[in-house]
Amino acid sequence: MRHALLRYLTKTFAACTLTRSAATMGPPMKILLIEDDPHTAAYVANGLREHGHVVDHSASGRDGLFLASAGGYDVMVIDRMLPGLDGLAIVKTIRAAGTRAPVLLLTTLGGVNDRVEGLEAGADDYLTKPFAFAELLARLNALARRPPIVDEATVLRVADLELDRLKRTVTRRGKRIELQPQEFRLLEYLMRNTGQVVTRTMLLEHVWEFHFDPHTSIVETHISRLRAKVDREFGEELIHTVRGSGYSLGVAQ
Amino acid sequence: MASPNSFLRSTSFRLLAWYAVVFGASVAILFLIVYWITITALDDQLSDSVEREAEVLVELYRSRGFKSLVRAIELRMVELRPPRRYYLLQDAAGKRIAGNVPPMKPLEGERILPVSSLLADRSAKPDDPDDAFPIVAHGRQLENGGFLLVGESRYRAVTAREAIFRALAWGIAITVLLAAAGGAALGIGFLRRIEEINRTTRSIMDGDLGKRVPASGVGDEMDQLAVNLNAMLDRIQVLMESLKRVSDDIAHDLRTPLSRLRHNLEAARGRTPAGGDVVIEQSIAEVDAILETFSALLRISQIEAGARRAAFSDVSLGEIVSTVSEAYAPVAEDRGQRLKTALASVPPVHGDRELLTQMVANLIENPIRHCPAGVDITVGLAQEDGAPVLRVADTGPGIPAAEREKVFRRFYRLEASRTTPGSGLGLALVKAVADLHGASVELSDNQPGLRVTIRFPAPVAAHRRAPHAQR
Repeated sequence: MRHALLRYLTKTFAACTLTRSAATMGPPMKILLIEDDPHTAAYVANGLREHGHVVDHSASGRDGLFLASAGGYDVMVIDRMLPGLDGLAIVKTIRAAGTRAPVLLLTTLGGVNDRVEGLEAGADDYLTKPFAFAELLARLNALARRPPIVDEATVLRVADLELDRLKRTVTRRGKRIELQPQEFRLLEYLMRNTGQVVTRTMLLEHVWEFHFDPHTSIVETHISRLRAKVDREFGEELIHTVRGSGYSLGVAQ
Repeated sequence: MASPNSFLRSTSFRLLAWYAVVFGASVAILFLIVYWITITALDDQLSDSVEREAEVLVELYRSRGFKSLVRAIELRMVELRPPRRYYLLQDAAGKRIAGNVPPMKPLEGERILPVSSLLADRSAKPDDPDDAFPIVAHGRQLENGGFLLVGESRYRAVTAREAIFRALAWGIAITVLLAAAGGAALGIGFLRRIEEINRTTRSIMDGDLGKRVPASGVGDEMDQLAVNLNAMLDRIQVLMESLKRVSDDIAHDLRTPLSRLRHNLEAARGRTPAGGDVVIEQSIAEVDAILETFSALLRISQIEAGARRAAFSDVSLGEIVSTVSEAYAPVAEDRGQRLKTALASVPPVHGDRELLTQMVANLIENPIRHCPAGVDITVGLAQEDGAPVLRVADTGPGIPAAEREKVFRRFYRLEASRTTPGSGLGLALVKAVADLHGASVELSDNQPGLRVTIRFPAPVAAHRRAPHAQR
């Protein structure tokens, strides 16, 4: 009894602290979660709800496919290994039916072929269990807000920072900043995801195409060099560290 | 594939040569036996005939007297037909009374006389082929002191022997020829099927476990071999699949509770009394390290299973090495190390970009993590004998020669690096990825430091393997 009360109290407390940070995460999303493991499902669903999102959960592939086909979701989280109908088959089916909502596949295997297979089936991103919740959230945010408008723009602007993708130049307050090619790609990725948290893993995958976990602080090192060039001289910080999650670029609130 | 050269070196050719020798020898032995029996029979017949003639003549002398004997011999001399017979009748003084053989010392019983004993006689014609052969002679002493000799040429036996030898020569020639032709026909067919088996096993070694040896359906030993091989491959495939299933099960069964543990720790973060968060952060890091080790292990076994080969394509090593070096150069710099590259242009490698990237990253991370500040790390890409060679060298403490092979083992860690974090799987993964690409890994002394050399196969070889991998 005392236990339950304690749990209730901590939960409410957590919800309070989390909703506060959810404000920076943007508008709520409608998310479909297809996951058979009740523990993982509860972990994901509770976490997402605490961040103000609406979550529909299905524990079986068949029900999940039914819900997914109905449509109306901003993003879907689908486990790869499901009883009955597996995650890959669901993704293939809904893609064949014309559902365009982004899909993030979850897997326990972490197998070398799984990522490629998942992406080939039509999934948009891929996350290996176990994952930090912050990682999942950051990826879902990136997926849900991926309309290709930003992709078309040749010049990215955040406050007084400007990045020209064609001329490959970066200026801040009109002053030219010289960047190494990898620093340029890093800044470009951060700017394309302005205001959102991008995790270390997301940066490794998109900037360097590293699909493994390095044992040295590549991301931290490159970020600190980028900061030295982009932020240090200008007083106002644009690149922020989000504790326990990753980084975010934008004007501090 | 069955070039003349490979045929000469093949088992079937050696078998064929042995068959030819053994066949030839047995044919020769057979002919010798036939020869021996025939010659003996002919000689026996000759002896019998000569002895009977002598007997008849002696009987004639006993019943009708010496005169009748002389007449009988003279009569026989007239109607001589080949095979020619030889007669000699001497009186007690050794004077020839009748016959066509010069007088000689009386002898008793059978004797073989040389042709020379006949040539002394004027009636013998040297060009008569009959006279060219030795004669079998039978001598009898007569009661009146006279001597009777009846002889016959061995013409038949000698010509029979020649005929047999001729037949023998032809026989051996034809036997060897037939053995060679039959063996070659058989051997080429045999070689072709062996080559099929070889091709199948090669592509299985390349990771295509679904391949099977084709059976001709004749039901011979080769078919049996194919059937047995296929049964063995089925078994291996089942075992490998169950091994993979077991690893997946372990991954699933152990990683699931670990994930939950991680979730719980994460959920507890921020809800503990002061100081508790530090403990929780540390626990999460520990769980992450365990999970990371699991992932690395699973990854290595999956790479070793060769499942990845289906996704091979032509990959530029230069691009990978420069991307990875650029990524790590600032990290090395922050640690007071220098990362330098020396990249020559090399032919593309047929392989997996993602795994090769991880391999290069592991190779560069190794010295960054295990060497002190101040060392130089050099990443080199060169073309040697038409094949790409990747070298990562450092000027750090190096690895003692005795331990160089061991570092490829899973979880093996050098004494010096036991205190630094890491799973001890880095070089095991490097080796697994290199093996998958048919590349060799060599550790050597950089004087001072360690040099890792990875030699990729020449692109021709890689391309020849490509069709197998794509099937």
